Amino acid sequence: MSDLHRDIKQLIIDALGLEDIGIDDIGDDQTLFGEGLGLDSVDALELGLAIQKKYGIKIDADAKDTRNHFSNVASLAAFVSAKQEA
Amino acid sequence: MNFVINFSIAQWRAWAPGLESVDDWQAWSRQPVVLPASDAAPDVSFLPAMQRRRLSRLARMAFSVGWPLAEGRPDLPLVFISRHGETPRTFEILKDLAADQPLSPTQFSLSVHNAVIGLWSIMRGETSEMTALAATGDGLEHGVLEAAALLNEGSPAVLLVITEEQPPQVYAPWVDDVPFPYAMGLLLTPGDDWRLDLCAQAGQWPGSDWPHALDLLRTLLNDETTCQHAWKNRVWTWQRNR
Repeated sequence: MSDLHRDIKQLIIDALGLEDIGIDDIGDDQTLFGEGLGLDSVDALELGLAIQKKYGIKIDADAKDTRNHFSNVASLAAFVSAKQEA
Repeated sequence: MNFVINFSIAQWRAWAPGLESVDDWQAWSRQPVVLPASDAAPDVSFLPAMQRRRLSRLARMAFSVGWPLAEGRPDLPLVFISRHGETPRTFEILKDLAADQPLSPTQFSLSVHNAVIGLWSIMRGETSEMTALAATGDGLEHGVLEAAALLNEGSPAVLLVITEEQPPQVYAPWVDDVPFPYAMGLLLTPGDDWRLDLCAQAGQWPGSDWPHALDLLRTLLNDETTCQHAWKNRVWTWQRNR
């Protein structure tokens, strides 16, 4: 697990108030929304906000690949890395 | 104008920090005191973790008193009453606004006054009529009036939940009727064990040291027969018939 993966998992837990879950309970490739971790649309908005705040990046909610970036921790980490390098 | 409604109180539940059982409330009723400030919240572990994670203390209080009363009673209408509502959430949102920060979608969506009944509906799969009231000093009576109307329409029972959260300190100059957080649930049924009547009243009426819901609870626990509450020009009289 890279530091970025670890940080994003911790961010998910803190921002969404996942009381009974630790970072080891979230797989890098585990689906976050609907299936898998079972997050919902309010979580998506809250997580988007938390990512923007923590990493100082802008997320376009209407862009059609935004949904793909939020599939799992690995895709989020790749997205954050790419945005930070840009 | 006078009016009278009749109903029965089949069961009740109440919660405040440190007061959970009937014995706790009985002791408090005999010798009421202001409870020490506390962050304690009631246990709502009967809800799955993913569902309860977003519940504020206000919502937890409402669920903890309402859930046991609703057990085994599908299609139970709910009247939710709170004068001040989710003041801690509102204050967090206002602080973000003042600092020009984006608002938390979770805080925003759950700050509205009918958020608790929305969550109740989702978590219980309950689609009966539900109402969220914010009256001023006599919200409990207005809630009972609403419940009586639902009973009159044929509901076999109506759940009434009244709750107040301790507002953030900054509201202290304006909010003086919440000495500590509390919630009370009443399961109301058709009947005539209790009578509530309203009379118009001019002039001053002595206030109570305690939130009116807790005065009613003391009436219930101490087997007293009447409880009166005045607000503005309205005097409400609760009369126990049996």
